[in-house]
Amino acid sequence: MSERPSLWWIEWRLSRGSLVRESIGRFLFFCLLGFALLSLLLSGGVDRFLADRYAITAVLRAEVPSAEAEGLARKVAALPPVRSAAYRDPEAAWKEFLRAYPGLDPLRGAVGNPMPGYIEIRIRPDRLTGADVDLVASALRSVSHVELVLSGEEWLPRLLRAGRLASWACWGIFGAFLAGFFVVARLQERARAVALAGDFAFLAERGVPAGRLALLRAASSAVSGFLLAAAGTAAGGGALFLSLRTFPLLEGVIGPPSDLLLPRTVAAAALFSLGAALLSAAASLLGWRTARSVRK
Amino acid sequence: MKRISRRILSALLAAAVSLGTFFPPPTAFAARDVAGELRKERGRLLEMKEREEKTALELTEALRKEKRSKGRVGELQALLARQRSLLSRIDRKVSALNDRLDRAEKAVRELEAAHGKARTDLQRAEVVAFTGQRAGDPWYPSARERERRFMRVYLAADAEGVARITRDRERKEEELSGLERQVAVTERKRTREKRVGDTLLSRQEEERRRLADIGREKARTEKELKTLRARIARMESVVSRVERQVKERERRARKSAGAGPSAREPAEAPRRFASLSGGLSAPLAGKVVTHFGRQHDTTFDVTIENRGVEIEAPSGASVKSVGQGEVAFAGAVSGFGNVLIVQHGGGLFSVYGRLESFLVKQGEAVKKGTVVGSLPGSPSGKSVLYLELRAGGTAIDPTSAIPLDR
Repeated sequence: MSERPSLWWIEWRLSRGSLVRESIGRFLFFCLLGFALLSLLLSGGVDRFLADRYAITAVLRAEVPSAEAEGLARKVAALPPVRSAAYRDPEAAWKEFLRAYPGLDPLRGAVGNPMPGYIEIRIRPDRLTGADVDLVASALRSVSHVELVLSGEEWLPRLLRAGRLASWACWGIFGAFLAGFFVVARLQERARAVALAGDFAFLAERGVPAGRLALLRAASSAVSGFLLAAAGTAAGGGALFLSLRTFPLLEGVIGPPSDLLLPRTVAAAALFSLGAALLSAAASLLGWRTARSVRK
Repeated sequence: MKRISRRILSALLAAAVSLGTFFPPPTAFAARDVAGELRKERGRLLEMKEREEKTALELTEALRKEKRSKGRVGELQALLARQRSLLSRIDRKVSALNDRLDRAEKAVRELEAAHGKARTDLQRAEVVAFTGQRAGDPWYPSARERERRFMRVYLAADAEGVARITRDRERKEEELSGLERQVAVTERKRTREKRVGDTLLSRQEEERRRLADIGREKARTEKELKTLRARIARMESVVSRVERQVKERERRARKSAGAGPSAREPAEAPRRFASLSGGLSAPLAGKVVTHFGRQHDTTFDVTIENRGVEIEAPSGASVKSVGQGEVAFAGAVSGFGNVLIVQHGGGLFSVYGRLESFLVKQGEAVKKGTVVGSLPGSPSGKSVLYLELRAGGTAIDPTSAIPLDR
């Protein structure tokens, strides 16, 4: 019984050097894309950035006791769109005011502390929409202790629109990089197919179908693509984790490192790897076809 | 004082009556050698009496002036005390007002300074707010919105502070001007009251000087009166001596004429009057207003010895003789006006003073009830009759011998 040779790793045997170089390049590229993907997933584009800077301020009446104000803050924090609600007493308000207007420090003796206490409400990044903000603001306005609600009604719609545009831009850039990967991968596959055209012709003469060769070649490319993407995403996630731990300021823009281990993040990374595998396979098939047409 | 002089006059009159200076007694020839002496003494006595009366009147007037002046001084002192008290109160009020004024001025100054500072601070805050609106962190729009809100709160509070200080300052300024007006009014009042006080003081000083003059005049008059009284006393002593001599002569004459005893004890005098032929009757219908004997005068705080009584009766009333006798004297006596003396014999005499007119003449015999004169007219419709009874040279209480309405 004659043993038929496996065609799975034929390219590895025929063109090992170029394949190693390509794999290293793709791994590094997947590291970069994985880093970007996880960053975009965690930050929601610019949603987290905006949510970190946007807050609803419920200015309380002067006569509201601290205990009642704190109780009100706890109730507000329980609202679904609310990420956090913190009560700031008049003294804290005064300090914040002086930080904003440091030149007025000596004036306090003349007028005392006229600042009221307030509750600062922060919205979840994924709920930072006009409807959710209106929901929270109207709930606050119905409370008798609240004198005024500052929710940026004038500028919030513009801000949200700008945020959406920015998020789309981020994802667009990511998509462009992915497309670039696909183009590069296709060129690499075509070049390798051209280079190994003689070998593939020899095999065809020996009765190996060209379609089977192309299919196996694409399958091996998908497997390697999946592995490289998964490894690259993991490496990019590690780099992101280290960056977030090293630079806590980034948390305000991207999110907490613990979110990297959330199932949805892991699932998104897996999907990304699968997508990379599919792209690798597609690039292999397209490269094979292009090489065949050139040879004819 | 008038009563004192009256007493002296009464003594003189009594002496004169006793001596029978005005009429010739039965023993006239025996006493003729002393009659001249008595007439001379009488003249001197009358002269002294007039002087004494004049001096007494002066003294009375001086006392009256002194009393009035003292009263005025007392009133002025009371007024001055009140004035001083008022001035003291005004001074205290002025002092309190000045204190309040100082405090108010200080408060206004402080408020002006506070107002200026508050205005400056407000302007500075407005500048800070204006520049702060442009600056700030654009990446934190919510914080900026809140800070702007706080700035509005701050500016409102600051503006309210400025307005409050302005109101306080205006109120204080009003209070200050009110206080200044009060001080001005009080100062004017003080000046006016001080002027009044000075006037009172000068009046008091003047009154004191007048009082001192009156005191000197009083002292002089008292001294003069004292001298006169001493002289009168000496004179009375002389007259008494002469009277004793007359009595002795009468007694001798009666003895030689086989007559009964002429002099009886004073205690028997009323009975002697009662034993007169026909008895005695009241000279007129009236009420005794001045009683016989020692009477205390509360006005001058002296005790006066009255030798007779004063009977108040309607003006112009007729005066009747209390008994049968002979008019021994009818003429004017200083201090008593027109005086009529009726000799009833046996050393008994009745004296009627303050008459306006006589209806009998000296030496004329009268019976009991004979109208001898009348009382003068008076705007009040009342006049007073002086009635004195003398027995053996001694005055007796007319009410003990005559039924008079007391």
